[in-house]
Amino acid sequence: MAMTDIAQAGHGHHGKPQGLARWLFATNHKDIGSLYLWFSFCMFLSGGVLALCIRAELFRPGLQFFQPELFNQFTTLHGLIMVFGAIMPAFTGMANWMLPLMIGAPDMAFARMNNWSFWLLPPAAALLMLSFIVPGGAAAAGWTLYAPLSTQMGMGMDMTIFAIHIMGLSSIMGSINIIVTILNLRAPGMSLMKMPMFAWASLITAFLIIAVMPVLAGVVTMVLTDRHFGTHFFNAAGGGDPILYQHIFWFFGHPEVYIMALPAFGIVSQVIPAFARKPLFGYASMVYATSSIGVLSFMVWAHHMFVTGMPAAAQLFFMYATMLIAVPTGVKVFNWIATMWEGSMSFETPMLFAVGFILLFTIGGLSGVTLSVAAVDVQLHGSYYVVAHFHYVLVAGALFSLFAAIYYWFPKMTGRLYSERLGKLHFWWSLLWFNVTFFPMHFLGLAGMPRRIPDYALQFTEFNQIASVGAFMFGLGQLIFLFNMLRSLRHGAPAPQLPWDGANTLEWRIPTPAPYHSFVEAPQLEVKENGVVVRLSGGRHEE
Amino acid sequence: MAAPLASANLALLRRLTLAALLMFAFAWGLIPLYRVICEATGLNRVVSADGLPKEQAGLSARPVSLVLDATTEAGLPWQVRPLTRLVAGRTGDFIQLEYEITNNSNRRVVGQAIPRYLPAEAAAHVRKLECFCFSQQAFSPGETRRFPVVLVIDKALPAGVDSVTLGYTVYEVPSGQEGRGS
Repeated sequence: MAMTDIAQAGHGHHGKPQGLARWLFATNHKDIGSLYLWFSFCMFLSGGVLALCIRAELFRPGLQFFQPELFNQFTTLHGLIMVFGAIMPAFTGMANWMLPLMIGAPDMAFARMNNWSFWLLPPAAALLMLSFIVPGGAAAAGWTLYAPLSTQMGMGMDMTIFAIHIMGLSSIMGSINIIVTILNLRAPGMSLMKMPMFAWASLITAFLIIAVMPVLAGVVTMVLTDRHFGTHFFNAAGGGDPILYQHIFWFFGHPEVYIMALPAFGIVSQVIPAFARKPLFGYASMVYATSSIGVLSFMVWAHHMFVTGMPAAAQLFFMYATMLIAVPTGVKVFNWIATMWEGSMSFETPMLFAVGFILLFTIGGLSGVTLSVAAVDVQLHGSYYVVAHFHYVLVAGALFSLFAAIYYWFPKMTGRLYSERLGKLHFWWSLLWFNVTFFPMHFLGLAGMPRRIPDYALQFTEFNQIASVGAFMFGLGQLIFLFNMLRSLRHGAPAPQLPWDGANTLEWRIPTPAPYHSFVEAPQLEVKENGVVVRLSGGRHEE
Repeated sequence: MAAPLASANLALLRRLTLAALLMFAFAWGLIPLYRVICEATGLNRVVSADGLPKEQAGLSARPVSLVLDATTEAGLPWQVRPLTRLVAGRTGDFIQLEYEITNNSNRRVVGQAIPRYLPAEAAAHVRKLECFCFSQQAFSPGETRRFPVVLVIDKALPAGVDSVTLGYTVYEVPSGQEGRGS
């Protein structure tokens, strides 16, 4: 079965299928990658609208626009949509598009399964969106869906649970595809310890997904049986324990944080060397750092639960284990800076986003280390400080890296150049308003403003107003990106094969735009660390 | 694509699918594991009898007041009340009090009481020797019973605490779950 799949993707069809069928029955990794990217951008805008509803309500104290019940649905769905609908599919889409090109594979290993992985996502997104209009509204327990809240709500919660099942299945299938592609389909000469960091990051992320998405599926299934089939996993009255939910959820939830961060590390590790015109500093240590972050991520989950009444010994263990993660992360930040050191840098849009990523992600990392101190976390738990922290690592981390990736590979994907002027405007606009939005949240949290509450005490007004203005301006700025993409797709100047003179990985050695069937025959390669191509022979492409 | 590669891909696919299934099973395995860990470490043991406090040399007895309270889970047709709201005692002494429970419904109901202490740091120093919360209690329709509670507040009670509140929350044990969880 797999053989015919690959045969069809690689040799069977010549030329692109036309019309709707091209997308509905897509088996080409580039088509599926594009579907993923457009889907995640739609989800990004939907989740963004929910965020703006939240910020509109929080512009003034008191209740202006939404009742608390609806506000809770907004915060919950904003989180779920951004995590499972925007960030994760965007990275999978990026991996789909670029991995085969970067390692010299003809396509992803299981082309038909790849189609399934994508087409499971729109129904899941529809379930989430439609849950707003069912009786009782959407899930309102926060994206963590803590029991006993999640065991009580209306059918919106059931729809959310099914959506999570479907999205989980999708990401597991996507991950299996990524792992098999990387482990089995690398071109001769592209050894594991030479392949690009983006491939390494995608590989480790895929393993994390296979390890923890089933755990999330399991725990929401328990919530479902508690709701409808009379079990008492999380019901204290029936001998269950709501704290158990938190343990299982965060056993998934913490690796999930790195599922959203590691691919970002991979992208930045490709972009920085290209624009610093130097090889990546400390490639091997990057690989080991990424792997050890992956391993450590399974040992720190209870730092999300410092206020549940854990014994001090457990608090100390999880506190020190969490602090330990700062070591490999610090190694990576050091390596990126060392790569730029004395490089002949130029600051095109991808580089701007990558450098912005390093700066802001490090701020998010530092507030993370602050929160890892159990004694401090007891104060800051559930406050806006936490909101500030994870938006620094998810917006300025994951999202900025995705922008860097899109701008970096846009010429190879489309054969056209994007508008550098609009790209730079998009970066500086995003950088400014991102900080205006999220930096004041540190102060709000330190002053004691709780998250997920539609109203607040009067003394928090000014910082909330600053944050709300920032959020609307940040949201507006993303339309610059959309406009730039749409216009450049049609009217952008034709791109040369190598638009960035410092880029030296395999995907830049094929024609622009990337041929529909690239590497139909595997090339013979000689590569250096981080996938830098020294010598290439053979390797045939077909349109 | 060569056949050996396709079969290698399939073999890896099978192994990764198996890994995903095992992790799904692991999530369910965490339930008994959690119970075993909680029992082994005593972390969740809130409703078992405590031993008498050891003689604490150098600590003198001092007056302490004990405020009593009880609430029932919504839907539990029981009336639960302490016979006295306030008990004045001394640390290190036996304190005896009584709770009265009435089943106001015309069905048999099994309940489980969970104690709670305010301030929280007093919890470790209230040592219950006799309590209706140590086991599930079954009530026939309309039945009323009184339960003695015997406890000692040990002398190591933190200096700032002069008054301790003991409150019970009583939950209904769903039929089929009787005898579990305590």
